[in-house]
Amino acid sequence: MELNDEKPRVILNEYKVTQNLPTGPTILDEQFTIRNFKRKCRIVIVRNENFEMEFDWIGIHPFLANTFRRLMLSEVPSMAIDKVHIHNNTSIIQDEVLAHRLGLIPLKADPTLFEYKSDASAEGTEPDTLEFELKIKCSYNKETSKRDSSRAEDMYKNNNVYSKHIKWVPIGNQKERFKDSDVGPIEPDILIAKMRPGHELDLKLFAVKSCGKDHAKFSPVATAFYRLLPDIKIVREVEGDDAYRLQKCFSPGVIGVRQDKNGKKVAVVNNARYDTGSRNVYRYDDLKDAVVMSKIQDHFIFTIESVGAMQPADIFKEAVKLLRDKCASLLEELNSS
Amino acid sequence: MAVFSEWSGLLYTNVHVGTPDVDEGFNIIKPTTPHECRLRDMTYSAPISVDIEYTRGSQRVAKTGLLIGRMPIMLRSSNCVLCNKSEYELAKMNECPLDPGGYFVVKGQEKVILIQEQLSKNRMIVEVAKFGVQCQVTSSTHEKKSRTNVFVKSNKYYMGHNTFTDPIPVSIVFKALNSQKRYVTAASKIKSPTDEARDLLATTVLAHVPVIDYNFRQKAIYLGLMVVKRVIEAQADKKFLDDRDYYGNKRLELAGSLISLMFEDVFKRFNWELKAIAEKTIPKIRATQFDVVKYMRSDLITNCLVFAISTGNWTIKRFRMERMGVTQVLSRLSYISALGMMTRVNSQFEKTRKVSGPRSLQPSQWGMLCPSDTPEGEACGLVKNLALMTHITTEVDDNPLIRLAINSGVQDINKVTSIYIHSPLAFMVFLNGNILGITKNYHMLIQVFRTMRRKGYISGYVSIYPSYLHKCVYISCDGGRLCRPYIIVENGQPLVTKQHIFELEKGIRGFEDFLNDGLIEFLDVNEENDSNIACYEKDIVYHTTHLEIATFTILGVCAGLVPYPHHNQSPEILTSVLWGNRLWKCGTIGYNQKNRMDTLLYNLVYPQAPMVKTKSIELTNFDKLPAGQNATIAVMSYSGYDIEDALIINKASIDRGFGRCLVYKNSKCVMKRYANQTFDRIQGPLIDTTNNQPVWKHSCLDNDGIVAPGELVENRQVLVNKSVPTVSAVPGSTNTSVEYKDTPISYRNNEPSYIEKVLISTNEEDTTLIKILLRQTRRPEIGDKFSSRHGQKGVIGLVVEQEDMPFNEYGICPDIIMNPHGYPSRMTVGKLIELLAGKAGLVEGKFHYGTAFGGSKVEDVSEELVKHGFNYQGKDFFYSGITGEPLEAYIYSGPVYYQKLKHMVQDKIHARGRGPRAVLTRQPTEGRSRDGGLRLGEMERDCLIGYGASMMLVERLMVSSDQCEVDVCNKCGRLGYCGWCNSCKSSGQVSSITMPYACKLLLTELQAMNITARLTLNHYCE
Amino acid sequence: MPIAQLAETEALSDSSKSKTFVFKDEGHTLGNALRCVISSYPDVQFCGYTVPHPAEAKMHFRIQMHKGKAVDALKRGLEDLVNVCDITLEKFENELQNL
Repeated sequence: MELNDEKPRVILNEYKVTQNLPTGPTILDEQFTIRNFKRKCRIVIVRNENFEMEFDWIGIHPFLANTFRRLMLSEVPSMAIDKVHIHNNTSIIQDEVLAHRLGLIPLKADPTLFEYKSDASAEGTEPDTLEFELKIKCSYNKETSKRDSSRAEDMYKNNNVYSKHIKWVPIGNQKERFKDSDVGPIEPDILIAKMRPGHELDLKLFAVKSCGKDHAKFSPVATAFYRLLPDIKIVREVEGDDAYRLQKCFSPGVIGVRQDKNGKKVAVVNNARYDTGSRNVYRYDDLKDAVVMSKIQDHFIFTIESVGAMQPADIFKEAVKLLRDKCASLLEELNSS
Repeated sequence: MAVFSEWSGLLYTNVHVGTPDVDEGFNIIKPTTPHECRLRDMTYSAPISVDIEYTRGSQRVAKTGLLIGRMPIMLRSSNCVLCNKSEYELAKMNECPLDPGGYFVVKGQEKVILIQEQLSKNRMIVEVAKFGVQCQVTSSTHEKKSRTNVFVKSNKYYMGHNTFTDPIPVSIVFKALNSQKRYVTAASKIKSPTDEARDLLATTVLAHVPVIDYNFRQKAIYLGLMVVKRVIEAQADKKFLDDRDYYGNKRLELAGSLISLMFEDVFKRFNWELKAIAEKTIPKIRATQFDVVKYMRSDLITNCLVFAISTGNWTIKRFRMERMGVTQVLSRLSYISALGMMTRVNSQFEKTRKVSGPRSLQPSQWGMLCPSDTPEGEACGLVKNLALMTHITTEVDDNPLIRLAINSGVQDINKVTSIYIHSPLAFMVFLNGNILGITKNYHMLIQVFRTMRRKGYISGYVSIYPSYLHKCVYISCDGGRLCRPYIIVENGQPLVTKQHIFELEKGIRGFEDFLNDGLIEFLDVNEENDSNIACYEKDIVYHTTHLEIATFTILGVCAGLVPYPHHNQSPEILTSVLWGNRLWKCGTIGYNQKNRMDTLLYNLVYPQAPMVKTKSIELTNFDKLPAGQNATIAVMSYSGYDIEDALIINKASIDRGFGRCLVYKNSKCVMKRYANQTFDRIQGPLIDTTNNQPVWKHSCLDNDGIVAPGELVENRQVLVNKSVPTVSAVPGSTNTSVEYKDTPISYRNNEPSYIEKVLISTNEEDTTLIKILLRQTRRPEIGDKFSSRHGQKGVIGLVVEQEDMPFNEYGICPDIIMNPHGYPSRMTVGKLIELLAGKAGLVEGKFHYGTAFGGSKVEDVSEELVKHGFNYQGKDFFYSGITGEPLEAYIYSGPVYYQKLKHMVQDKIHARGRGPRAVLTRQPTEGRSRDGGLRLGEMERDCLIGYGASMMLVERLMVSSDQCEVDVCNKCGRLGYCGWCNSCKSSGQVSSITMPYACKLLLTELQAMNITARLTLNHYCE
Repeated sequence: MPIAQLAETEALSDSSKSKTFVFKDEGHTLGNALRCVISSYPDVQFCGYTVPHPAEAKMHFRIQMHKGKAVDALKRGLEDLVNVCDITLEKFENELQNL
């Protein structure tokens, strides 16, 4: 099935993906110029909730989309606990495992306000380190009302250590620079360890700034990815029960069934955007030839799921700035030599 | 129970094995737990006490509760403290409630007595031997073990016996058996040869056939049957030959019978020694009366039993039995490996013999022994594992059976005329290999027995079956038979109904109730062959007698973990059992793993229950003590680092804890006390006077000279600063200052470890015992081995950043990329289905089943995927992480259960430039542990010779190895030194050459043997 | 922050037309972006990049020109990328404001 239109597409065949380029020049094969880019590139923000954002980026080459995706995953910095001083740990969880768990707790702290630590072994200073403290001891619950209970929550105090137990210890004049609510774990209920009476934790935690390349805990996003805009065309009329069957092959809302002039129920494409590309039409031999599924190659639907330290929009902006700075510094080096 | 010793002066009236305890010295005895014994390197044993009556002087004395020894107690046996304890009580005793027990704790080591497989005793086996057809019986009674053969040689029938040097013609034996009762003449104590022969026939030949009052009739009939019925028949017709490998002819010996054999032997020795002492001492005239009790020492029995279990050497003097390797150390690498060990069956066959019969899969193993679980290599097919529902019978009293048989029309063999015996209608009835009698209505007999068994009037493990070939009915109630339960089918209807299952689910009914109500019965291999068993309910026809409970129970514990094994090629299941499940993997070993101090322990930091379970997994509690993680895999090619089954792994996954494992090792030390009142001591750390800090080697030590928990120790640092007294001071001399030599216990490993905990205790000998548990946390790195549950093992070939990984429409990156070339040749379709079912379970939020011969069907699983908007084939649309463009192919991706195997690069990495050399040859040492060199072997040498790289050869074999400057005298050709030839007494013609030290060593060694090797030197330019 | 050090591996003289640049601490992120931009220029005969070994944080970037200097193409590519970033940032900010 040939689809000749102005848009470059990939066609989702039964067993493979094929490319289908229009006869005219597309973003994929024409010369890259800034003017062209400026003319064609379009950004449409679809959704920007608290920690999640979806936007369409239209008219760009896949390398750009991918470069920013990669930058967001691995090079946009964030703060995470990197060093743990263990003064006392009598719980059953091993020191290294405890430190690893603490490192993975997302922290509320604007990384742009901090500097990279130049010497990893040096003691943390005000501009590059956030210090926390976790001091907790489990004991029997002496409350009379719950004496008979055999539930762990009632029998003991502090038997579960949560991220909310982490306390911020300001260094220098950090206290003036940040509010108490600006610093600390994002989620209060991340389980760190389980304890029993007599167990005790006394830790000093040091959070530093680094990027995802170093360790996944520094990645500011849970994930950042894009997908190509799906496009579905019904090439022959599908009616009656077949229409409903076709509808079921796609995600809900993708295919609609409408009554045409003659009163027949006919399948139509409602909105292909949220199709998951499951290609389940190919299960039915009689429906296979009725649809052509494709994806538009210069229309990217970006999803950025922030871990919570930064707004997703800021993460994206940070990624763009990173590439810009990187190229600029390289240019400078080239020009100076 | 009254045990009579051989020495009539002593009468044992009662024996009693108590509960496990420990003697703490000063007569303090307190009860102990298995875990305490494990930690303190003690033996978990209970006192054996006896009540006796004996003669002291002239009066009869009775004593009760006399300790004669200690019996190692099997965990969870009736005498164990863990027996019938609740989970809470077990937790209080530091014991894992899921631990199966069934092993012993001896000197702190967990030892399993393997199940021993052997040919059944007291049964006739007809087979083709050297001369022709022969019939063999191994008789075994409490006193004797003997083997009798009847065979044909040049058309004559002979009887052979292991105590005879030559076989005897059968007719002579019959004649001898016809002899009359011996009339004892009181005068002659010396036996005549005739009497001796008679005694031999009565007690040794076919020892299991009872001869009462020299009445040989039964033995004669037995022998006649052997000759006539078996050998002659088999000569004429091959179908009368028996099969040695048939499981109906095998018996499994369990720990109990092995221990009882051992105890009986050592107890007899104990009495014999007592008797010897008594006979020696009583005649002497003494001031004090002879008191046997004073000579009864408890350490003989204790030591013998402990020694046998700890070494595995089972020597039983009575039967001249000497077996090695009966016990093995319980492998605690994972929960399943420990469980799998308990079901292991060891065969008595020699491993080196290249016979196929005993090694090949026997059809009668069906449902009794796992068809997949056997090691590769020399023990292949000889070491087996029990299937899930197999039960091994224990001995049952046969008196009720005899009574029942007689009541059901069996006529006593001794009261039947010979015409009747040979009547074509008569069926001979055997009980445990002995002739019981004759019946005309065998049908009724069998019917009666089976009904009585189902009603519970006789033991459920009694088996009865007819042999139409032999015209016999065999009843067995002996121990060691393999049997398993079936649902009884009557009139084409299984007795277990929906109502029963409902009650089972509600917990009103248990397995025992099913047995007691006669809905389920146990059949052994022989009786199984007399039944019509349907696999599924739909297969039941009118003559069906039984129904399988579940088909997957044909597999054992280890093979049961593999999902969808019926879709895999059978060798792959075997590999998966070997690699994935039994050994070598990191995981969890028990709820008490944090309290244990094993020599080696591999734990996963974040273990997960598999997404695709099997029924066996639930039955064996693998989902509660898992050993692996559900990794999202993508089956695709990526870079070139995935060839030969190598895996590409996502770095972010590792960062987040995938495959992270804890390695525990222990370090042990005992503080000895010596005979001369000196003892080992521990000193505090050595302080460097310049900075008042402990020296580096001692920097981890606490003030008491033992490492502090939580400390990081590096290579060569000291764990325990122990010193040992040097010269033995003269005993008795006091106040001599004892000199000490430092013998520190130091840490040897290039990777540092943390100290998890330190244990200070005393062991059984009351010496101080210090155990130190060391811990390492390891994240996966290139070269670490992983395996799926289908035997698809592979090492990590490359660790890739998350952004380089392909991602799909949902933004999911795989944890592992697996090369598709792993599939075609291995045909592990099961893994493909596991992936699909796992993915469907993920989107649906439930576990799928991959039980053997069942499990979730691909169709249903696909339907679930479709429901959630996934491709029905499990193939997703992926984008390349590097270019950002869509991949041309759809990628098969989803969760697969991956296990980390214990083979890690960190334990294997080795390289050496310079290093230690062996003292004798001055060549580099061998092996990683000694920092050895890598050998340029003969094949490598051949390559260099073939290539003509002679200088390279010299460099490799001499210069880099054991080069040595030697002075050689040109005149006499002998070795000199310092430019001086000692035999010529001159330095005139001595020249210096280089040669391998090994060569020089050879020359001097030859010289020491009075052989002179003379060297002739030439300048190499000439 | 990776500071790029550029080393020219080509020993041949008169090779300003074709050159391999070695980028330290860079990988596919920059490599692929630059490659896509530069290879579309009409003067460029060939442009490609490789990460020679995954264990080494190095990226080799090769440019061969029909005419002109390879360095200039690289400079132009970097400039283009800087501009792209500026435009993207601007458009994204606008869009955010309009939300």
